[in-house]
Amino acid sequence: MTTPPPLLSIREVSKRFGGLSAVDAVSFEVHSGEIVGVIGPNGAGKSTLFNLVSGLAPLTGGDVIFGGNDMTLVPPHERSAIGMTRTFQIVRLFGHLSVIENVMLGGHCRTTQGFASSLLRLPKVLIDDRKLRHLAMHWLNFVGLSKRADEPASHLPHGQQRMVEIARAMISGPKLLLLDEPAAGLNGAETTNLLNILRQLNDRGLSILLVEHDMKFIMGICDRIVVLDHGTGIAQGTPQEIRQNPAVIEAYLGKRNGDAAH
Amino acid sequence: MQTFGILILSGLTNGSVYALVGLSLAMTYGASRVINFAQGEFVMLGALSTVLFVTTFSLPMVVGIPMVLIVCATVGFLVERLAYRPLVRRGSQPLTIMIGTLACASIMTGTALLIWGPNQLFVPNAFSLEGVTIAGITSTPQQLAIIATFAFLMALIWFMLYRTTFGLTIRAVGIDPAVATLMGIRAETIIAFSFVFSAIVGGLTGGLVGPLLGGHVSMGIMLTIKGFMAVILGGMGSPFAAAAGGIAIGLLEATVAFYGNSFYAEPIIFGLILMMLIIRPTGLLGEWEANRK
Repeated sequence: MTTPPPLLSIREVSKRFGGLSAVDAVSFEVHSGEIVGVIGPNGAGKSTLFNLVSGLAPLTGGDVIFGGNDMTLVPPHERSAIGMTRTFQIVRLFGHLSVIENVMLGGHCRTTQGFASSLLRLPKVLIDDRKLRHLAMHWLNFVGLSKRADEPASHLPHGQQRMVEIARAMISGPKLLLLDEPAAGLNGAETTNLLNILRQLNDRGLSILLVEHDMKFIMGICDRIVVLDHGTGIAQGTPQEIRQNPAVIEAYLGKRNGDAAH
Repeated sequence: MQTFGILILSGLTNGSVYALVGLSLAMTYGASRVINFAQGEFVMLGALSTVLFVTTFSLPMVVGIPMVLIVCATVGFLVERLAYRPLVRRGSQPLTIMIGTLACASIMTGTALLIWGPNQLFVPNAFSLEGVTIAGITSTPQQLAIIATFAFLMALIWFMLYRTTFGLTIRAVGIDPAVATLMGIRAETIIAFSFVFSAIVGGLTGGLVGPLLGGHVSMGIMLTIKGFMAVILGGMGSPFAAAAGGIAIGLLEATVAFYGNSFYAEPIIFGLILMMLIIRPTGLLGEWEANRK
C-alpha cells in the first residue's frame, strides 16, 4: 500500500525583494485531514510565505503543488474553485455589504456565470442565487451568526467578523483552508470558540494550514508545526517535538521572552 | 398650479438626462473607483451617430438605435481596454487614470469633429415632438420618453445590483478587487462590463435627448460636468444617490430659470452644491449604501 500524495506540497519556495530574501527555499507538506501551523518570530517570513501559497504574490523560485495542480499556473480567481481558500490577518470583509452578502460572495465561484449567459438563462440564475443565499445562511448558522445576516459587516465586532470570514471561506467548499493569524485580536472566549469551530471543520475532513503568533493556540490545535526564522525553515515536527527542539527554543521562544513580542 | 406642473415636468426632463449621466458615472465608479470623464461623450456619440444612421443612412429608428448602442458599446469597450486597463496594470493612481479618461474624451470629441463637423445638427426624434396636453399640462412624447427611460433604467440597475449575485460581484469589486479576485470573481471583466454598460446608457441618452438639445460635437463635456455634479450632490455611495442628485439639479435649474433668468441657474447651483458639501461632505445620500438593510 502506498501513501496518498500530499494535498499541498511546498517545494523550495523562495521570495526575494530586490537583494533581500524574505523566504528562502522553504519546503513542507500538508496531508489530507491535517492541521499544520507555521510559526516564527516577527519578520520570519510567515505572512510572505502565506501570500505566496495563496497566490497573492508571485514566487521568485520553487513550486506550490496543490491537489496535483501547479499553483503558479493557476490564476488567483480560479484558486477557490480548485479548493484552496484563505482568510486574512487583518479581517478583509466587504464592510459596506451585509454579512450574508459577504458569505454569498465566497460561494460565487460555484454558481455565477458570465453576464451574457446570466441574461440568457435568467430563471435558472435566480434559482441559483436563492440556493446560494440558503447555503450562506447554513454557514452563518454554523458559526453562530445567522441572526446578524442582514447587518453591514463593518458593524460587527472584530471577533464576529473573523467568523464571517471563516463562513465566507467555507461556503466555497475548500479542501484546504489557509488561516493567517486567525486568533489575532480575539479575546479568550472568542479564541475558544474559534478553536471549537476549527476542530469541528477538521473532524469533517478539512485540512488547515495556519500562521499564528499565539503559541498556546497553535500548540493546542496543530498536528504538525513548521518553524521559520529569517525566511528559512529551521524545524518541523509535532507540537511536542517543536517544544523540545533546541534550535526553536533559541530562535523563537528565547527571543520572545527577551523582546516581549506579543 | 399649471405653471408649477410645467416647471416640474421640464425640471424632470433635464434632471433625467443629468441623472442618466450621473447613474452611469456612478456605475463605472462603483466597480472601478474611477470617474470616467468620457461619460458625457457617449451622449454626444449617441446623438450624432443617430444622425449618421437615421438621417444619413436613412435607416428606420428600430434599426438605427440598436446600431447606435452597438457603436457606443464598442467605444466604451475600447476606452476600458486601451486607457483604463493598461493604466491599472501599471499600478497608476486613480487621478492618473481619470486624466486618461479625460484624454479619451478629447480623442472622442476630435474624432467626432472630423466626422460630423462643427455645426449643430438636427437629431431625428424617435417620439413625437408635438405637444400633448394632459390635465392642462403640455408635454411632448419625446420628453415623457426620456423620463420613462430614466425610470426604467433605474429599476433595471437596482434589480441587477441588489437582487442578483452578478450585481453583488460588481459591488464587491468596487470595494476590494484583490479579495474579490480570491473569491473567484474576474475583477477586470466586471470593470469592463461597467464601462460598456455605462457607454450603452450614454448612447441611449444621446439618442433621446439629441432632438431636444441638438447634436453638437462639444455637447459631451457639459453633460459630464452636470453628471459629475449629480454624483457629488447625491453622494458617491450608489447610482441611485447620483440619480437623485441629477433630478435635484434639473428641478433646481428649472425653478431658477422660471423665477429668475436661466443665465443665473448654473452659478446658483454650483453655489448650492458648494454649501451642501461644506455641511455634508459625503453628499445628500452618501451614507445610504452603508445603512442599507
